[in-house]
Amino acid sequence: MNAETTDLSVAAKGISIREFNKYYGAFHALKNMSLEVSPGEFLVLLGPSGCGKSTALRMIAGLESITSGTLMIGDQDVSQVLPKYRDIAMVFQSYALYPHKTVGENIGFPLKVAKTPKAEMDAAILAAAEQVELETLLDRLPGQLSGGQRQRVALARAIIRRPSVFLMDEPLSNLDAKLRGNMRAELKHMQNSLGITTIYVTHDQIEAMTLAHRVAIMKDGELQQLGTPKEVYSNPENLFVAGFMGSPPMNFVEGAIANGVFTADGVSLPTNQLSDLSKVTLGFRPEDCTVVEKGQGQLDAQVFTLEMTGDQSLVTFRSGDKSMVVKMPKDFEIEPASYAGIAFDASHACFFDTDSGQRLRPS
Amino acid sequence: MGRLFLTPAVVLILVFSIFPLIASLVMAFTRIRFTGGGFKVRYVAWRNFDKQFFGSEQFHLLGTFGPLSILAWVVGLAATLGLFWWLYRYCRTHFTVVGFIGRLITFAMALFLAWLFAATLLSGRQFGTVGTTLFYVVVGCGLQFLIGTALAFACSQHIRGSRAFRVIFFVPMMITPIGVGYIFRMLADTSKGPFANVWQWAGLGDWSWATDPWAARIFITIADSWQWIPFVFIMMLAGFESVSKDLNEAAEIDGAGKWMTFREIIWPQVLPIAATVMLIRVIEAFKIVDLPNIMTAGGPGIATESVSLQSYYAWRSLDLGSASAIAYILLFITVVICVSFFNLVVLARVRAKP
Amino acid sequence: MKYGLFEPRKIGEMAPATKVVLYTLLLAWSLFVIFPIYWLVITSFKTPAAVNEGPFFIPWVDFKPSLHAWRDLFVYDLADTMRAYFNSVVIAFSATVLSVFVGSLAAYSLSRIEFAPNLITILYFVLLLIGASVAIGVYGADLWLTLAIVVAMFFLLARAVGRLYSVRLKNGDILFWIISQRILAPIVVVVPIYMMFQSVRLLDTHLALILTYAVVNLPIVVWLMFDFFNSIPRDLEESAQLDGATMIMTFREVVMPLSRTGLAATTLLVMIFSWNEYLFALFISTSKAQTLPILVAAMNAGERGILWWTMSVAIIIMIIPVVALAVVLQKYISKGLLVGAVKG
Ligand SMILES: Nc1ncnc2c1ncn2[C@@H]1O[C@H](COP(=O)(O)OP(=O)(O)O)[C@@H](O)[C@H]1O
Ligand SMILES: [Mg+2]
Repeated sequence: MNAETTDLSVAAKGISIREFNKYYGAFHALKNMSLEVSPGEFLVLLGPSGCGKSTALRMIAGLESITSGTLMIGDQDVSQVLPKYRDIAMVFQSYALYPHKTVGENIGFPLKVAKTPKAEMDAAILAAAEQVELETLLDRLPGQLSGGQRQRVALARAIIRRPSVFLMDEPLSNLDAKLRGNMRAELKHMQNSLGITTIYVTHDQIEAMTLAHRVAIMKDGELQQLGTPKEVYSNPENLFVAGFMGSPPMNFVEGAIANGVFTADGVSLPTNQLSDLSKVTLGFRPEDCTVVEKGQGQLDAQVFTLEMTGDQSLVTFRSGDKSMVVKMPKDFEIEPASYAGIAFDASHACFFDTDSGQRLRPS
Repeated sequence: MGRLFLTPAVVLILVFSIFPLIASLVMAFTRIRFTGGGFKVRYVAWRNFDKQFFGSEQFHLLGTFGPLSILAWVVGLAATLGLFWWLYRYCRTHFTVVGFIGRLITFAMALFLAWLFAATLLSGRQFGTVGTTLFYVVVGCGLQFLIGTALAFACSQHIRGSRAFRVIFFVPMMITPIGVGYIFRMLADTSKGPFANVWQWAGLGDWSWATDPWAARIFITIADSWQWIPFVFIMMLAGFESVSKDLNEAAEIDGAGKWMTFREIIWPQVLPIAATVMLIRVIEAFKIVDLPNIMTAGGPGIATESVSLQSYYAWRSLDLGSASAIAYILLFITVVICVSFFNLVVLARVRAKP
Repeated sequence: MKYGLFEPRKIGEMAPATKVVLYTLLLAWSLFVIFPIYWLVITSFKTPAAVNEGPFFIPWVDFKPSLHAWRDLFVYDLADTMRAYFNSVVIAFSATVLSVFVGSLAAYSLSRIEFAPNLITILYFVLLLIGASVAIGVYGADLWLTLAIVVAMFFLLARAVGRLYSVRLKNGDILFWIISQRILAPIVVVVPIYMMFQSVRLLDTHLALILTYAVVNLPIVVWLMFDFFNSIPRDLEESAQLDGATMIMTFREVVMPLSRTGLAATTLLVMIFSWNEYLFALFISTSKAQTLPILVAAMNAGERGILWWTMSVAIIIMIIPVVALAVVLQKYISKGLLVGAVKG
């Protein structure tokens, strides 16, 4: 197994995306996206559905034309190169298995196209199938496989050619929750051992957090932030990223900064030398705060519900039409509709310009 | 309740096709003589069939026979050997009694047709209406299938104006076969038709296609194809468009070129549809009667006469017994060929589909 | 990078060579399809002289277009033309409605209910029919008396015969039987049908042609609609039935609206076949119920040879309605046929 693993790995190539733009007629689907992926990296494109992730991926694959911009794979400009000359492999959301070909024929198709000798091809098929533990199912048709097995056939078909880049478009979204967890671990392991540069598209932030070396978060065709999962989680660049990452998401309080102090109704918080602004949003994570006696914390609110998730309790507060969530230990008890205070660590709080959404940083 | 839904259809079919079928069978064994006011019916056993196969009408139905040429012997024997080999292989691999009987019937029909072909055409003699009908079926359907599929594939690509092409290509199917027959007669008029000048220029002068058996047959095939390619086109287009776009793209990424994608990915998936379309076309093609009737009246001689047309002419000369016998011969050949095609080709393709 | 002749130069575009091949093919075929129709149309505007004096291609340039053929058909022979037109419309329309209605009912019940008719009973019935045909045809027995005897014999003994042996057919067999009726060439059945209508004095009536066309097209309807109904999820009907709807109501309220595409395609196809049919019309309609194809063919019968100009007019007025219908419904046709075709 290990021998084959090293055998399958290739010299990974970096990808460099420069000022990608995509227009569908007048619709601007991808806006000036620039991004460098280093060799062997696992990069996840994350964003809500319809934000242009698939479009970006398909442009990298060569299935969609690049309206303007350049794409380099390794040190070669491939912006106008046909998909088959780009040395990439892609896993589709629907798996796109050829229904009339057996598992073995499906996996071996890229080699058959490349006119690989039969013996060599059979060995490669077996090696790839072993990698995804499909070696006993080689004679089945895709129609006779379960969802997870089909997913693995698609993976095997992608790895058999030893491409220098893997592209995956929501490959796990058609699986049920449990299987998704298993496949996630396997994918991560496989990418690690093969060391192939991978771009992975998903709308599921858990997948992004667990799989990625770096995450690129997108919205409406624009790149919002690029960084390690930890960076984008704890150091969001703007309101969108802050609200998109984490479940439950960050709590927001709107107010203003005057004389370096953030004030909202009932809240007053010294900031770290931020300049004055009339519309500011304060954000803090549910796990960075605790529920305390009324009047003891930075702000007070009425308890709306208490949810037990097993390993923790989520306390939801409601004031006006805003709600805030606090993560508490699992045996925490509180009376709904009672008033309580919320105390948080001011050093973890983030401030955003409410109008532009941008993070406010000390000047 | 459910019976109530099914009954009207069954009753209509019983009255309008099973009863006539039986009546026709009875007529095929009788001779009907019209006298003054009424008619007399006489039972004549196999005499009507005998006349068609061995008697005075043999040249008409089957063709003119005589000594076989070398080529005829070679082809005939090769076909015989091939058929025996096919049957033998079936017996060796997956033998069932029903399957064997079915294949035996197919075998007998194929053997008969092969020798018929060898004894008439390959020995340089004229073949009869059975041969002509088979010519329309095989050459016509083959042509229609090839062109229709090519057009459908072209139209399934991202082509500007593909909508307009679709509508245009569909039109000939709407036109009555009678109309098609007359339109093509107009077009093919060698002195007043649109190609008259080309005809004269090519030095063909007074020579008329209508006097040459092969030219006339080919001409009818062209008219028939003009009318029915739209059918193949529209069905195959639906087939091509049902192939998922993802598969095309996956093949593109896997490195396959256009031809490879077509052969390896698209074609295997439309094959069941193709087989069904072919079956429908073959069934319909066996019935061909309007076009030869309108365009050549079966001429020159009997060169373009189909079996249906022969039966119609027999009816017109009030020989109802022969008309029914000929119709039954056509029915038998059609059923054997179509059922064989269905069982051996279509079902195999449909079953192979996951 | 070097590209093959059939490889696109740009992503999302077609290779120049591919483009050339495709457009050449499509344009050439368009020409081949359009030219005969063009010739038909200009011939309808030619005078006999313009037709007879050699090929003229372009109106106003080559020859002076004239409405004389149109006048012939619409002024002098107006009564004949209109009658044939009226007959064709009534017959094609009624036959289509009947066929689609009866066929859809059958297809629906076949796709939803398990039938298990006994083959032996059916064979018994067929044998009775053969006996009756021989009795009537060869021995000249009275038609109605024989039929009465057949019906009586069948209902008296069907059960008993059915008990003797029982070979149950499945729905697939019934379906196959209905569809296989399409194999019958019209020529095989047309003579007995002719005699049948003669004996009940329905020859040369609308009803005769309507019934005939409806039956001839039943197999197509049953085949297409069966596949279509099969593709409709059962849950919808089951929930309708839970709400208390009867089978007829479910069929009308739930199934019919969902199968609109299939119905459109089927209707159009049956309409075309009925509108264009010639052989049956030739036998069954002699004068009163004459349809358009007969009118067209009749242009050949004059002493002056074929009247190409009036015939062209007749063909044109005959194809205009179907072509219009087809252009409007073209979208449904491919969609509707698709279901049948893809399922095989
Ligand atoms: N072929 C196309 N034509 C027009 N608009 C498209 C096309 N493909 C995608 N779009 C639009 O581009 C946007 C991004 O789509 P996509 O990349 O598929 O989003 P996602 O992030 O969910 O994968 C969507 O608003 C979509 O409607
Ligand atoms: Mg997507």
